[in-house]
Amino acid sequence: MDTPKKITDIQTASIVISSIIGVGVLPLPLFAVRAGNTAAPIVTLIGIAISLFALFIITVLGMRHPNKTIFGYSEEILGKWLGRFCNIFVILFFALLTALGSREFGAVVTTAILRETPIEVTVLVMLLLAAITSRNDLNTFAYIHTFYLPVIISPVVIIVVLSLQNANALYLQPLLGNDIGDMFKGSLTIASLCQWSFVLTIIIPLMLNPKRAMRTGMTGLLIAGGILLMLVVASVAVFGAEETKKLLWPTLELARTTTLPGDLLQRMDVVFLTVWVTAVFTTLLSGYTFICHALSGLFRLRDHKIFSFSLLPIIFVLSMLPGNLLQMYKVIEFVGRFGLIVTIGYPCILLAIDLIRNKRGKRSAPTNM
Amino acid sequence: MLLPTCRQLLLFFTSVMICIVLTGCWDSDEIDERAVVLAISIDKAVGEKEEIKIAHKGKMSDLADQPVIRLSAQIALPGRIPLGPETGGGGGSEQSPVWVVSVTGHTIDEAMLNLQQEVADEIFLGHLRVIVVSEEIARIGVNRFTDYLKRNPEIRRTAWMVVSKGKADRFMQMAPKLERVPALYLSTVLDDAIDLGKFPSDFIGKFWSILSSNAQDAFLPYLDIKNKENVQIKGLAYFKGNKMIGTTNPLEIGLFMGIIGEERGGYGTFVDSPEIDGFLLVRAMKRDAKIKTSLKNGRPHVRIILHYEAMISENEVDKNAKKPLNPKAINSVEGKFSKGVEKKVKQLIKKTQKDESDIYGFGDHFRAKHPEYWKSKVRKLEDWHEQYKNMTVQVDCKTNIRLVGMKSK
Repeated sequence: MDTPKKITDIQTASIVISSIIGVGVLPLPLFAVRAGNTAAPIVTLIGIAISLFALFIITVLGMRHPNKTIFGYSEEILGKWLGRFCNIFVILFFALLTALGSREFGAVVTTAILRETPIEVTVLVMLLLAAITSRNDLNTFAYIHTFYLPVIISPVVIIVVLSLQNANALYLQPLLGNDIGDMFKGSLTIASLCQWSFVLTIIIPLMLNPKRAMRTGMTGLLIAGGILLMLVVASVAVFGAEETKKLLWPTLELARTTTLPGDLLQRMDVVFLTVWVTAVFTTLLSGYTFICHALSGLFRLRDHKIFSFSLLPIIFVLSMLPGNLLQMYKVIEFVGRFGLIVTIGYPCILLAIDLIRNKRGKRSAPTNM
Repeated sequence: MLLPTCRQLLLFFTSVMICIVLTGCWDSDEIDERAVVLAISIDKAVGEKEEIKIAHKGKMSDLADQPVIRLSAQIALPGRIPLGPETGGGGGSEQSPVWVVSVTGHTIDEAMLNLQQEVADEIFLGHLRVIVVSEEIARIGVNRFTDYLKRNPEIRRTAWMVVSKGKADRFMQMAPKLERVPALYLSTVLDDAIDLGKFPSDFIGKFWSILSSNAQDAFLPYLDIKNKENVQIKGLAYFKGNKMIGTTNPLEIGLFMGIIGEERGGYGTFVDSPEIDGFLLVRAMKRDAKIKTSLKNGRPHVRIILHYEAMISENEVDKNAKKPLNPKAINSVEGKFSKGVEKKVKQLIKKTQKDESDIYGFGDHFRAKHPEYWKSKVRKLEDWHEQYKNMTVQVDCKTNIRLVGMKSK
């Protein structure tokens, strides 16, 4: 790798946070409440726990191979061709995830703000922006995430705090209650929203201090998870479980219900949506950059820039595949849950093989470097 | 050779893309080319309606069951809305700043389509402040209005929905003195009522949340117009499910706010005091409520513990009072006030129990704190109504009068 290793701890944490907080925060309370009614916060917590586990696995892998990305060490662990074969699935999945994310963004913008603008244009502009930005190296990528982090977090926190003036604590009770199976299924959906943290697998080799990857990664995920949890709690406390189920984007409605004290701003959704566009951008940027670097890793190329524009048509076409909005969410939920195999199952297998081989390797010969 | 280089081609491509992508003109919308709707009223259409068929042709049997509504929209006229406070005697004050258009339709959206057919500019609902529904329509049910309003991204969740005594379109035509735009006056009346402790916060988003809930019934302000220019809060319109079923008087709003624990008190009542031989007007300043729920032999039981912080604002027989106001008298007034509140709260709850309308959200307390009971007995709101009818209530009220105003006796 030619890129200098200088991504700091804070930058790593910000990458995790702003990758996770993205397009998914809008329907998040709906997913949680559908699965758990008033137990939605618990569903979210379990979801976050699952993602913590996923992050733990990829970080352990990354720290065992501190100079390689997942595309490097998977080929080492599984063998060249099997590793490549598996990595194609990872890339395909993230291409799909990025495409669906941009489509969801387009759907929200066309429904709520720019109603005359064709959805293709909104999606294309966002993808173009991500494509142009992804041409930078990973250090710049880290700067961008760190730079936008306060802009993303603070308004969300402010909206949650202000919305609590309309909250009703009774709506959050009873804490438990739904069918365990449903709740777990919902948790998987929530965990799938956190899958963007997988981008950490290409960041660890560039960290200034890869030994601290575990601590920073976990901190980042906990902060992002805390924000997601706050949004779920606030939505349920303000709207109640029954009303939340009827709203497509409860988080957006939360911003619409909230006013700044003193009639300074009668609706916060304008502020929220502006911020949210930035959040979506950083998320899609993560996805896009990940794919570019993954492809260059796959083809053993030094430069990832060649892919940034050639990918654009493919992702754009993928994003236009779902027919209507409700179908899109069905696809997103399905792809997201299926993707857990890629982001949790695959690293687990890698780690298991790696551990077994290492034990044997110690006895035979130190061939693996 | 004049073949463009790769760099030039790229430059050309980029500039074309910028031109296409960064225009952002699709949604440009001039402010004076919008018909800004400030308020709408919904009445039952009377007599033979002239109907242009836009949303549907001929008869639709399902829709025909529902009464046709008459929707009046108050549209702001660009240029006539005064910015800032009015300077006295300015020209053009004869002209109304709003224009009221009435249309009919089976649903709100159909009426809106009909409205657009009559109004040149594009209708914009982003500034909609108040939706006035006539009592007649509210008693038939409001569910069929909520879908359109929730689906439309322009509607604010902080708008108000109110029930009017009699015709709702009178609120569109009224000419208030304090504010030139009727819709703004109406929403000011409601917002100020919250500040004065005269009405609980109940904007449309809250109303919808309660309407969706299976453990509480919704309520709305019940308004009337006096002298064509004055809005009066006549009470609370309470619902059973999505149908309005009854009203309260204004004093009962105060009691209701006490039960749901709204802190700010805005109502007062006379209490007679034998100690000073006269009547005192006692005003509630602060309220606090605790609700304890329990099950007695499988029947829901509610204990409401009210705490009032009150003041004496008037002594009715001040002049010829034989005995001056004294601490002992105040103590007995406190007791009497509490007794009065207890009695009236029980009456109010009994009245709503008879109508099967749980506007207090007692159901939510049982859903939250007795989940086993709730799961076994209640599935829908109707089930809770059955339970609610037989609910027993105990009210304990304690009053503290600390202030008596600026008089020594």
